[in-house]
Amino acid sequence: MKGLSLLLAIAFFVIAVLYWTGTLQIAVHEPGPHHKHAVLFAGLGILCLIWFRFQSAAPSRVR
Amino acid sequence: MTFAQAMLLAILQGFSELFPISSLGHTVLIPALLHWNIDLASPDFLAFVVVLHLGTAFALLVFYWREWQGIARAFIASIVRGRFSGSADEKTAWLLVIGTVPVGLLGLFFEREVRGLFASPIPVALFLALNGIVMFTSEWLRRKDGGERALVSLSYVDAAKVGLAESLALLPGISRSGSAMVAGLLMNLSEAEAARFSFLLGTPVILAAGLLEVPRLFDPLAHVALVQSILGGILSAVTAYISLAFLTRYFRSNDLRPFGWYCLAAGVICFILFFSGIVKA
Repeated sequence: MKGLSLLLAIAFFVIAVLYWTGTLQIAVHEPGPHHKHAVLFAGLGILCLIWFRFQSAAPSRVR
Repeated sequence: MTFAQAMLLAILQGFSELFPISSLGHTVLIPALLHWNIDLASPDFLAFVVVLHLGTAFALLVFYWREWQGIARAFIASIVRGRFSGSADEKTAWLLVIGTVPVGLLGLFFEREVRGLFASPIPVALFLALNGIVMFTSEWLRRKDGGERALVSLSYVDAAKVGLAESLALLPGISRSGSAMVAGLLMNLSEAEAARFSFLLGTPVILAAGLLEVPRLFDPLAHVALVQSILGGILSAVTAYISLAFLTRYFRSNDLRPFGWYCLAAGVICFILFFSGIVKA
């Protein structure tokens, strides 16, 4: 799962960059850069990094 | 849009964004009912709506300021620590994060298509009536099941389900706070807890919706009237704050049914008016 979280984080950041630069044009309404899409995927990338962080740290004592 | 129309829309936004009666639905229905000649897709209007959303988000942040401080602190601490401590604030923070993801994803990819298809008075009136029926049904189902869970007893899957339910508000006429509350009630949260979760969950969504649209304010085609926008934002914030103060108190001992009646009646009346041609859609 650690590998998966890191892989997903990288994938999301790459997608974010592609949307930001306007290279990726999937599920968009007009051509050009799509900053909102980029921000959302960057957010998902950060969440995956947090997931990675949780798996890297010592196991939880509470849950 | 005249000054008076702008101020009325600001008040309407502040109240209807948090009351479970669909702000977007009212933004479509009221101008149509009052024969206002407003282009809801014009850069001017969209820029004005951004300011109204920022005002509402500001009111939400101020109202729950102490709670947000605790949530943010617990959230950051859990990331630094790399594990859960089990505190209530931390659980709330992660429930909010998980609940926000589906709203963000679905909103980004489907908002324009859905609104393009349904943002006209007749479908909005039907969705508003449906919004009312859903509220009645949820109250009825909850009464049957009984039980009153606390927010922190929700699982992360439950939070994602509430987020999915909130995404239904992409349909104009379906209330964002109402659908999130209904989902919470169906998970046996009390009205007060369901409302609290709905408002907390709405804060990042409304704030992001406002902030991500800030570039619209600088759109060369948008002729933003400065005084009108500033006053609109303030009015929206004040009315949203008053709504929050009222609703948090109201839901301690009352339920969704009065809002259900309102949505059902308003939806049916508007449908008859627009469908029969008495009022031009």
